[in-house]
Amino acid sequence: MAAEIHIQKLFKKYPTGTEAIKGISLEIEKGQFFTLLGPNGAGKSTLIKILTTLIGKDSGRFTLAGTDPEMNPLQIQKMIGVASQENELDPAEKAENLLVFQGRLFGLTKPEATNRANELIQLFQLENERNKKSGTLSGGNKRRLHCALALVHRPQILFLDEPTVGMDPVARANFWDVITQMNRREHVTVFLTTQYLEEADEHASDMALIAAGEIRYSGAISDFKKMVNPNGALTLNESYLQYIKALTNAEYTIN
Amino acid sequence: MNTVNILLIERGIMKLIKKPSAPVMGFGMSLFFLLVYNAGIGGIGSLEAFGAGGYLSFVFPITIISLAMGSSAGAGQTLNDDMQSGYFRRLYLSPAPRWILVVAPMLADTISSVVFTILLIGIGAISGVSFQFGLLSALGVLLLSFLWSLTLCGFSAGIMLRTGQHQSAAIITNAVFPLLFLSTTFLPRELITARWLLAVSWVNPVTYILEGNRYLLAGTSSAGFFITGLLIFSTTSIASVAYALASAKKIKA
Repeated sequence: MAAEIHIQKLFKKYPTGTEAIKGISLEIEKGQFFTLLGPNGAGKSTLIKILTTLIGKDSGRFTLAGTDPEMNPLQIQKMIGVASQENELDPAEKAENLLVFQGRLFGLTKPEATNRANELIQLFQLENERNKKSGTLSGGNKRRLHCALALVHRPQILFLDEPTVGMDPVARANFWDVITQMNRREHVTVFLTTQYLEEADEHASDMALIAAGEIRYSGAISDFKKMVNPNGALTLNESYLQYIKALTNAEYTIN
Repeated sequence: MNTVNILLIERGIMKLIKKPSAPVMGFGMSLFFLLVYNAGIGGIGSLEAFGAGGYLSFVFPITIISLAMGSSAGAGQTLNDDMQSGYFRRLYLSPAPRWILVVAPMLADTISSVVFTILLIGIGAISGVSFQFGLLSALGVLLLSFLWSLTLCGFSAGIMLRTGQHQSAAIITNAVFPLLFLSTTFLPRELITARWLLAVSWVNPVTYILEGNRYLLAGTSSAGFFITGLLIFSTTSIASVAYALASAKKIKA
């Protein structure tokens, strides 16, 4: 069976000359909760932008649920949900209207879109904010609304790029409840990047570690922990820090 | 047209209704021109060259042109707001065809311009502007206005998309403004004495929308101007939409 996300020898160089992605290959199965880790500037956001068709690649290929985005870009948009680092809200529109409009854009009828908006308003605890313009919401509520918008059309693959930045602990817990339920019950494939490694440790099963545009590790999180420290029980955060430190020292020595 | 495209055009119209400064200013400017030109120099309308419609019918096309010039920055404004807020990226990630994300606010802007043109035509009719072919004249004026407005909207939006600054959407208005003075804007060709101005007016596209309108209104010009105007502004409309779409590809995600 083909992987849900299949990436083969992907390259991306920016006009500035920066090689952001250097021949990445990855396979992510359907229903997997996958996390992509790496230091700032490693290429995580670039890879997500390529996979979500926001920017083009230079070479290589990828498919999402067997669909080539170059052949059928609109089909790809229907199957993916994206919550990127920055909020993407129309500040002049009310929260509920934004959710309904998003649903309509994805082909829901008005009653369907309204029902779905109500569901998400409840799930993300935005009842008191539904009639407020998004520009007037608090930072945390903007973030909730931003994430809710990514789920309106019940995507089968969810790209989350630092999704919980700016959320308070209660909102974060609530957000992860929603996502893990979608992952477990509806087998939604989750592709997560985060700097909160304890979140990745708690929710994800598989990972890849990217540094300077190259994949340095790909596999189960438990295997990564064992690889870094075969004797002790380290958290993902501790394992990651130890690995990055070793990687930096090795590269420093080589240079 | 599919539902998504209609939704995005509706959204563009709602944006203009909620933030109507550009079209309302355009409309106000047009009425102002109509009032002051007619009041200031309307007396010369008794000259034979102005035809039976008088100066009001002669000067009326300039109000139509001014309307689109005043309101053409609306699409650029909507696009700029969406880009600044990041909402454009959310739209970009929806199943809407990407061309409609740029074309929808332009169409909304053009529709608004046409609505205000209808209002102006009504005001003109009440004030005594003559319509040589009745309703057909009014429809012809609307068609020229639509093409002129789409031309300005497309180039304004394209420039804004390339520069990323909404102020730059006004560049096209500033660029077109001198063309008004290099045409038969205030006087018929027979009364213009400067030969260089006459020569320039022949190659100035504004002349063809002015004279085309005058053919439809007071009948002081020829059908050739109207047909040439249609051809010119159909071409520039297509070019401006193409320019805006090409500019959309320059957007950084």
